[in-house]
Amino acid sequence: MSGMLIDVTRCIGCEECVAACVKQNGIDPRLADRDRATALDGLSENRLSTVETIGWTRFAKKACMHCLEPSCVSACLVGGLTRNELGAVVYDGDKCIGCRYCMLACPFHIPRYEWSSTTPLVRKCDWCFARLEAGKPPACYEACPENAITFGSREVMLAEARRRITSEPDRYLDHIYGESEFGGTGVLYISDVDLHELGWPEQNADSIPATVAPVLHATPWIGGSVLTAVVGLNWIVKRRMEQAKGAEGSAKLPNDEPGS
Amino acid sequence: METLDRTRRVKDILWVCVFAGLLAMLFRFIFGLGATTNLDDHVPWGLWKIFNMVGGAALATSGFTIGFLGHVLHIKPFDRLVKPAILVAFLGYGSSLFALLFDIGLPWRFWHPFVFWNPHSFLFEVFWCVSFYFLVTFFELSPSLLERTRMTRLQHSLKKAAPWLVVIGITLSSLHHTSLGSLFLVTPQRLHVLWYSPMISLLFIISAMGGGMMLLGLIKLLYHWWYTPGELIVGIQRKQSMVCATDPESATDGEPASASPLREVRALAIAGSVVLTLYLILKLADLLLRPEASSALFEGTWESWLFLSEMLIATVLPIGLIFSQRVRHSANGLAFVCGLGASGLALNRMNVGIFGYFRDAGEVYFPSLIEWAITVGVLAMAGLAFFFIVEQFSIFTNHRKPVSDTQLALGSSFDRLTRVWNHRLLTGFERVTLIALIVLPISWWLLYPPYWPETPEPVSPPLALDSERDTLRIDANRNGYEVLFAHAEHRQRLGTETSCTSCHHLTLPGDQATPCSHCHVAMEERSPLFDHDHHTAAVAAAEQFHGLQPENQSCACCHTLGAYHAASTAKGCLECHREDMHPVDPPDDPNGLMHASSYHSAMHQTCIECHRKEKEAAGRPDLDRCTTCHQPMPGFKPRPEEGEKLDAASSLVELAAKKRGL
Repeated sequence: MSGMLIDVTRCIGCEECVAACVKQNGIDPRLADRDRATALDGLSENRLSTVETIGWTRFAKKACMHCLEPSCVSACLVGGLTRNELGAVVYDGDKCIGCRYCMLACPFHIPRYEWSSTTPLVRKCDWCFARLEAGKPPACYEACPENAITFGSREVMLAEARRRITSEPDRYLDHIYGESEFGGTGVLYISDVDLHELGWPEQNADSIPATVAPVLHATPWIGGSVLTAVVGLNWIVKRRMEQAKGAEGSAKLPNDEPGS
Repeated sequence: METLDRTRRVKDILWVCVFAGLLAMLFRFIFGLGATTNLDDHVPWGLWKIFNMVGGAALATSGFTIGFLGHVLHIKPFDRLVKPAILVAFLGYGSSLFALLFDIGLPWRFWHPFVFWNPHSFLFEVFWCVSFYFLVTFFELSPSLLERTRMTRLQHSLKKAAPWLVVIGITLSSLHHTSLGSLFLVTPQRLHVLWYSPMISLLFIISAMGGGMMLLGLIKLLYHWWYTPGELIVGIQRKQSMVCATDPESATDGEPASASPLREVRALAIAGSVVLTLYLILKLADLLLRPEASSALFEGTWESWLFLSEMLIATVLPIGLIFSQRVRHSANGLAFVCGLGASGLALNRMNVGIFGYFRDAGEVYFPSLIEWAITVGVLAMAGLAFFFIVEQFSIFTNHRKPVSDTQLALGSSFDRLTRVWNHRLLTGFERVTLIALIVLPISWWLLYPPYWPETPEPVSPPLALDSERDTLRIDANRNGYEVLFAHAEHRQRLGTETSCTSCHHLTLPGDQATPCSHCHVAMEERSPLFDHDHHTAAVAAAEQFHGLQPENQSCACCHTLGAYHAASTAKGCLECHREDMHPVDPPDDPNGLMHASSYHSAMHQTCIECHRKEKEAAGRPDLDRCTTCHQPMPGFKPRPEEGEKLDAASSLVELAAKKRGL
């Protein structure tokens, strides 16, 4: 299972990673340039990753967090989004019907839609899955001049994050964002500022699929109990009506058969 | 004839909406979602999904609630309302699903969820239940549609299946109405705290049951107002005389069904109010159980006002009004109560699905004209279908329309419809054509997309720190991320006057110190560079000077003779401007350099290229790093690893501090 560690204190906001991402995904850099200026948060169908600038001093790369229990995967009604064995959350454009529920479901606002197209698909970071399969790390990792991005197995990344925090306790807040947030994410952040202040959702949020699981698992029971209740009521009411009719009939004609 | 007049005007308006909607649908498919809607990445769900689908399904709940009350429990006034309720459900679900075809990006893949399953998705459950429930309503409705035919065997088998259809319909409905609420359960971080509730599924189904009954009452009143206005008045008069009588129930019991529409509407409004009272209690309990929500209730934000008005319209007002005898016994009063209940329900769904997300999205969404046109157009289609069905079949009355074997085909039925139109001026077909002829051009003009994104702010030239321009403050978008550029120092180091062109590329004739922002207009976007008029004038002037006839020759300077006059047949810019174009930004398409690069990349390419080359010669391996020019911000912590790089970084901090001291 892969993991990516982003060290906010090292990022200088140069966006070399974004340029590499744009190149890797075969996007016209001019469109990416345009969306840098026009998109509300720097992400768009032409920019699958961005570097958020917060305040004056902090930069943080923003792209898909590759959650361990992704909300988008549970939301997609055709199973077009899946989390594969390497830990990357990948999108299958052949299944997508364009309902955009994944965009609503993602707590990080990551999936983007090809609004300009007449046959639009969703676009999101897939950790350069083609490269991962070939044994190469994601393009953004290779492009970072400051080593703010580290890529490897998630356990190693967690250990490295802990090592950095313990070796320099003054430099970092004692929290690895993504270790437990939303049930854990593949992308981990260490920082000297609270990432919640930088626009990331609050710390220690619960995994969304786990939160809604009770409701989801109750569904067959709801259906079954409604079905049983309605069938039962139907039977009772019908029988009583027949009895009432029978009673009425027998009152008028005593010789009529009683239980018809 | 009065009834014909009443419906005709409504039908005219509906046809107007239908034609505008059809045109909007055409635009939607030609230009795509981005150009025709105001949806974007931050507000992915808009009017079509929330109002048409979530709201429409909620308002069409009467199909299963009245089916339950009438066909399962056999409660008296409701059994006569089952047929109208099923019609409302059929049209409501049909129009919702139809509107959804415009909302989803790839409508021709609408069947995918039947094949590709994800049972963990609430939307999957909604899709299955809604589409099967739509089928069920169709089968429930079909006996009414078939009663004028001679297909008795089919009618008989449908009648036999009817109880099972009702049971299946109730099960499917209770499932998908809870799931429609659960759709929003997955957004605890995004939906506003007032509406995000762990029991939103329960709230959704209860409110839908109440509001759906209210809508059915409203539709029934409208039906009678259009077709049998006499009955409403009769109903009122009878009621008024009944006030002195002992028991109105027993008195009206023996009356024919159609004679007391007001009584049925009253039953609906009261039943709806009872359900809405339950909803209100649940909602209050929900607010009490979630302290963060109850504290947000009176915050005075516009969400809190929306929430309060929603609760007022959907629950408090209708429940309060139904206690008044005057309201209960007047058609207008009941219409008002039912209208409040139904619109309150619609407002609730809009609040949950649209308004509740604004704060998180960081922007406000208002549907585009095309979105409105399609929403209204789809509803107008459902309205026309409603008129057609209630006029052709016995839905609201128990009088069977006559069986006729010649008028079975749809075409002849349409003739009967057109006779409704064919009242005064024109035949129905002519009337509709006339409406189309007027509406289509107007709506073409009104609805024509695309709504292009606005152009970005132009950038500003660098600021000089002092009059000698020794140091420039380069901060083109004036956002505070400035680079202090030691102009004099660079000039000195690179060899005074002769070195100007190593950075400044003198594209403009007679250029001395044109600011970069003259051509590199936008911070992140390329800007169009080529000035056609300027080129024709310049070429013409040059040719006149040499004694040539400019008229026919000047085009041939750049465009291939005899070829189509367009950018694609022109020379590349570099073919003439080989010397004076900037070499670091070579044309990336064969027609070359029609655009100036963004200010951002113009600056970067100019500096970084040179710094890369010079770093060895200058003996400064860090020269091509970002922090050479971009000063570390206050609080910047240089990388601690790798001693050499740490030294470089700390020297950068020193350098920056020195520059700041300037």
